[in-house]
Amino acid sequence: MIVWVAAGIIYLSVVDQWQVYAKPLGQIKSWYEGIKQDLRQAGNVRAEEDLFWNVVSGTDGITVSGADGSTVSGTEGITVSGADGSALPGEDGTGESESGNPVMPEGDVAAPTGDPAEAPETGNPAGQGVSPETEGSDGGLVYHTVEDDYFADAVFIGDSRTVGMFEYGGLEETADFYASTGLTVYKLFDSEIVAVEGQRKKISVEEALLQKSYAKIYLMIGINEMGTGTVESFVAAYKEAVDHLLELQPDAILYIQGIIKVTTERSQQGDYINNEGIEARNEALSQLADNERVFYLDVNPEICDDTGGMEASYTFDGVHLKAQYIDIWKNFLKEHAVVYESY
Amino acid sequence: MEFSSIEFLLCFLPLFLLLYGVTPRYMKNFVLLTGSLVFYAFGEPEYLWLLIVSVSVNYFLGLHLARGARLKGKDKKQKKKNFEYKRKILLAVAVVGNIGVLAVFKSGIGAGGLPLGISYYTFRILSYLIDVYKGEETKETSFLRLAAYIAMFPQLLSGPISRYGEVRGALYEREFSAKNIQAGLEIFTLGLVYKVLLADRLGILWREVQVTGFESISTPLAWIAAVAYSMKLYFDFNGYSLMAVGLGQMLGFSLPSNFKNPYMASSVRNFYRRWHMTLGQWFCRYVYVPLGGNRKGEWRTLFNLLCVWLLTAVWHGSTPNFLIWGMMLWFLIVMERQLGRLGMGKLFSWGILKVIPHFYLWFVIVISWMCFAITDLSQLEMYLGRMFGVTEGIRVGTGDWRKALMNYGVLLAVGGLACTPAVEKLFRKLKDRLPGMLLLIILFWICVWRLQVEGQNPFMYRDF
Repeated sequence: MIVWVAAGIIYLSVVDQWQVYAKPLGQIKSWYEGIKQDLRQAGNVRAEEDLFWNVVSGTDGITVSGADGSTVSGTEGITVSGADGSALPGEDGTGESESGNPVMPEGDVAAPTGDPAEAPETGNPAGQGVSPETEGSDGGLVYHTVEDDYFADAVFIGDSRTVGMFEYGGLEETADFYASTGLTVYKLFDSEIVAVEGQRKKISVEEALLQKSYAKIYLMIGINEMGTGTVESFVAAYKEAVDHLLELQPDAILYIQGIIKVTTERSQQGDYINNEGIEARNEALSQLADNERVFYLDVNPEICDDTGGMEASYTFDGVHLKAQYIDIWKNFLKEHAVVYESY
Repeated sequence: MEFSSIEFLLCFLPLFLLLYGVTPRYMKNFVLLTGSLVFYAFGEPEYLWLLIVSVSVNYFLGLHLARGARLKGKDKKQKKKNFEYKRKILLAVAVVGNIGVLAVFKSGIGAGGLPLGISYYTFRILSYLIDVYKGEETKETSFLRLAAYIAMFPQLLSGPISRYGEVRGALYEREFSAKNIQAGLEIFTLGLVYKVLLADRLGILWREVQVTGFESISTPLAWIAAVAYSMKLYFDFNGYSLMAVGLGQMLGFSLPSNFKNPYMASSVRNFYRRWHMTLGQWFCRYVYVPLGGNRKGEWRTLFNLLCVWLLTAVWHGSTPNFLIWGMMLWFLIVMERQLGRLGMGKLFSWGILKVIPHFYLWFVIVISWMCFAITDLSQLEMYLGRMFGVTEGIRVGTGDWRKALMNYGVLLAVGGLACTPAVEKLFRKLKDRLPGMLLLIILFWICVWRLQVEGQNPFMYRDF
């Protein structure tokens, strides 16, 4: 036994440099995942090309590159942004939000800094702001207060925070939840986390979204990604995910939820989970909203104390709301619903 | 530095053993002491001085306490009396001083948290001083040997609380051999498995319940989580103790064992003769017996027990929940004594009735561990309220316990099995045969792998 354990130790620490060894492995893994994602995207682009040529075959001057995953909505008639081929950040994901091409959407909705390439200009059913009940503070965007049945055609996608909503939000019968602890935006679509009735094996989010269509998508994700990449790379990945979601669910609106902050105490613990980082990422996420199809909601003001972190009594670990306080979050969502007549 | 950490397993321990192995016999204590101080410094460099000062001061106190009187001349009796009086005062000063330092840190006056291992090394020091005072132990003239005993890294941080007499022989002369390392490594591996594969993972369930909030758990889940915590505590502590004993054996010491299948006991009295045995023996030897034990009548016995349990409670922590925990156990032990005197023991000694005391024990011990675990009294009240369904819950997930059983059922079953003597019997039977050894090697590396996987994550309990 000594021999074997000693041999293992020597092997790992001398021959293989155990600690040093783990890092490249992780790197290879992330490369691999990156490549996989690229491949998947390439596949999408191809799919869209076909679609594009079939539907709008006559339209000249529309570059295929316009299909950056979001313009799937091109099916419903042709789009503003795709046409000029210039504001097409595409898959490299670097050009987000900078290209402030002022394409103002119609209607009474003021999209402040919406990314035009991102805003797919769905042929939106006419009435956007029908009989507003409450006025949201977001630049004139009108939110309504709704009942639980609003979520009947909604899907919540997210990490452990959304799992908490699933378990203690009282919506488990109403809405669908594609949520799993540790879920990241990088692995969002490939994670096999959706249980299917009468089936042992879970299916991936991608498959699930292909099988069922929703009118509302709630996305709450980002805390697990804090340790990886920069704000820019995170938001780029997030944007890709949003685009892909809209593409998979052409009839849905999507709520980007700002990442819930942690307590100030947790934030000061010294690892990469801190509120400054969350704020920076939330700020960038809020830019992804076009207030047409994609909306940004931030529950943080409701659950944070004066120090800017989550109220300490609301949580045990500083990260997750206790079950009884999930209602604050849920009510916030109910008071911030976008209602389109046709939806 | 934890025993169950990559740094310890793959760096400190092999390097130390190598160095220790090549050291000539008369230098081994020196290497042991140096290594132990390095080990301590890895965990808590800011309180290393306290350990060193404590050992040094108590070394001299020990020398003084052991000094015999050279009595000559007239009024021998008077001189002897004076001398004994001085010795008594010195002992009192030593005990109060040591306990005072411990109390200052325990009560939180010495801000900055409890120095690692202080509860344990203070108790080892006290046992040495008292034994020397009573003449049951001869003083240790070598500073090196005494320091090596008090600070030796296998038992430095969490015991077992060995008495000096138990390791004295080995400090003079011990065998460092492949056979000992082999045997020690086997015990160590068993402890590592308990800690990494059972305790740490059972702890996640307990953690989940805390994250959810006690007001929102169903009554069945409250019980499942309480059982999970009880097992976690046992495997955590027993795992640690086994690792300590294993390490001791590698170095040639035979440290006392700390646990003897406590959950197989049939009464609280019996439970605490099998749980953290070295602490129980310490209190018995240095508090209970000097107070008169059970020789001074029933009332006095109950009082002595009360003292022991009050001290035990305070030793574990200064928050009021520990007092509740200690008093609850004292009360149960008193009840058991009285029922035993009435002859209830015989009632449960035959047939199927034998299981009743076991169920009683599990029931009360699980509740007592909740008093131990939850330091906030209103939270404790809430938890107990949920356990008995007295307190109305808020947003209780009705099926939460089914989910817990689905996720942790296997783990709980394995844990339950490992609480019986079966696993240790199997271990003793198999450890020196090839398949058993292979199994242990595999388990060892699985533990290392788990530690590596979990260590990459800065959160104790993986991701969100």
